Amino acid sequence: MRKSFKKAYLLLSPSLFWLTLFLVVPVIFIAVISFTTNGDFGAIIYKFSTKAYASAFSSLYAKVIWQSIWWALVATIVCLIVAYPFAYFIAHAGKWKNLLLLLVMVPFWTNLLVRLYSWIILMNNKGVINNVLMDLGIIKEPLALLYSPGGVIIGLVYGFLPFMILPIYSSIEQLDKTFLEASEDLGARPIKTFLNVTLPLTFPGILAGFIITFVPAISVFVVTDLFTGGKLLMVGNVIRDAFLVEMNWQLGAALSLLLMVLVLLSLMLFMRFTNRKDRKLLT
Amino acid sequence: MLGVQMVKLEHVTKEFDDTIVVDDLNLDIKAGEFLTLLGPSGCGKTTTLRMIAGFEKPTSGKILLNGNQVDDMEPYKREVNTVFQSYSLFPHMNVYDNVAFGLKMKKVGKEEIKERVTKALKLVQLEEYGTRKPKQLSGGQQQRIAIARAIVNNPKVLLLDEPLGALDLKLRKQMQLELKHLQQTLNITFIYVTHDQEEALTMSDRIVVMNKGKIEQIGTPREIYEKPRTRFVADFIGQTNILDGNVSAVNGDMATLELADQTIEIPNSSEVALKEHAFLSVRPEKMKVSNTPIEGPINLKCTFKEKIYVGSVTKIVVRLSDGKELTINESHENIAELTNNNDVYVSWNPENAVMLIK
Ligand SMILES: Nc1ncnc2c1ncn2[C@@H]1O[C@H](COP(=O)(O)OP(=O)(O)O)[C@@H](O)[C@H]1O
Ligand SMILES: [Mg+2]
Repeated sequence: MRKSFKKAYLLLSPSLFWLTLFLVVPVIFIAVISFTTNGDFGAIIYKFSTKAYASAFSSLYAKVIWQSIWWALVATIVCLIVAYPFAYFIAHAGKWKNLLLLLVMVPFWTNLLVRLYSWIILMNNKGVINNVLMDLGIIKEPLALLYSPGGVIIGLVYGFLPFMILPIYSSIEQLDKTFLEASEDLGARPIKTFLNVTLPLTFPGILAGFIITFVPAISVFVVTDLFTGGKLLMVGNVIRDAFLVEMNWQLGAALSLLLMVLVLLSLMLFMRFTNRKDRKLLT
Repeated sequence: MLGVQMVKLEHVTKEFDDTIVVDDLNLDIKAGEFLTLLGPSGCGKTTTLRMIAGFEKPTSGKILLNGNQVDDMEPYKREVNTVFQSYSLFPHMNVYDNVAFGLKMKKVGKEEIKERVTKALKLVQLEEYGTRKPKQLSGGQQQRIAIARAIVNNPKVLLLDEPLGALDLKLRKQMQLELKHLQQTLNITFIYVTHDQEEALTMSDRIVVMNKGKIEQIGTPREIYEKPRTRFVADFIGQTNILDGNVSAVNGDMATLELADQTIEIPNSSEVALKEHAFLSVRPEKMKVSNTPIEGPINLKCTFKEKIYVGSVTKIVVRLSDGKELTINESHENIAELTNNNDVYVSWNPENAVMLIK
């Protein structure tokens, strides 16, 4: 027993090694740096200081962090609402399935930056969307689609939608169809079958999609950069600025660490919440 | 209630990608009947059942449930329930909620649901297991829950697709009898699918033997076993010896059949008179082996090959002059002294031989 335990670790050791090298060590670096003192031109003076955390917790940064969580959360929920029917449709598309999946994945191979630029053309004051709406007489003044939180959320949804579609698709695809037949056999109309069987049984896919969409969405900075020209900020922007513009590595490190802790905490909370709800749903 | 027609299939045909899987099926199933679809794997049993449940649409033909044509009726509207081969219990619900599912969908009141679910669980002797999840149950218990989940809805017809296929032999035998008793207690029409002929004989009121999408024969277990109409049925149900030869003469109520270099007299019938080539089926337990011909029954001269002890009986294998082998089951006490490659006589009473039509 003991021996096999050791053996398991031995087999795991290569992955443990890389995990340590590329994840644990950098995090420790960041943690250490966040407690050092800021010298001129970004120099790191190895003297204990909590000044970075004092700024990180100041109202300015707290607001940006809160805003980021909020926008990322809204974007993730919109992604979920859009992705589920989409994934459901793909999973039932028969011979078109592979083509549709390919179309979902194609954007992955193009830089997000390039793809977001195309949205600027659509969304700016003289862009296609505003022109059409004005021509139709629905609006008189062009909508400020860019430079608004709504625009940021559109960008986030657009950027991360595939992350939501793929795990949901895979859970719908893998769902044993005889469960659906059993439900129908017992008198459930299609909508009831969906709510009572399909949805709960594809919940792992929703959960996975939620996590892998939310986590990158909260820290991305290109969307705010491109759509608002830096007028609106997400936590990714301030971290980058701290490192690269203000040369304040301590602040950047502290904010990064803070973000990591927040993301982990919210994920844990989310999992707890869903688990409990799951349990309630099932008993 | 027995006698009222419950399910009717009229010229039902099903094709998948131009392959005919069910071929012009005609079937009348009475209320309260235990009817079994029996046939080898791939003969179209499941497809037939799925058409009755509504999961497949017949390519042509009509299906009537309780007198109503249901070809365009959705499965959730049909008053039939299915016990799936894989059980298909919902993994995210406990046993109680699984059994209550159908009643909830029909918006039955909470109190009544509780009452009926409890009763159904009691019927399958699992009333203590309501709070368990399906995966915490053994295969046999899951099987019972699948049955409870179906019968709690008081369906007009219960469809069972090889429901005991995944159980081990001993449990299967036990469940066969339990299911049979359950069916008699509830008086629900059962349409049961199996490829196991023994199971079909044990449980059914009537058996429909299917082969390649067609019905070979419909009859009671006894009729199917003792009066098979075709070589396929005779062969598939139990074991048999099929003697094929030419009818060389017909005189009155007897006909002469030429087998290898011998002739035997067989009772004449419409089938015999018509054909030059005839097939005769004799069950191994209806034959005897002796060293000298026996007065009275039909005797066939063969060469003794071997005897095999198989527990309940001894199997004796003999060979006709054309090389064809026959198997005879003898009880251990009755075995004559037999020597390898010696001539022996196989005999049977004429009434135990069945003429087959093809
Ligand atoms: N959905 C389907 N599409 C194509 N062929 C099918 C389908 N369902 C069944 N078949 C074919 O129909 C034949 C009969 O299948 P089935 O009714 O399951 O037989 P059984 O239950 O008697 O073993 C098989 O050859 C099977 O491959
Ligand atoms: Mg089958």
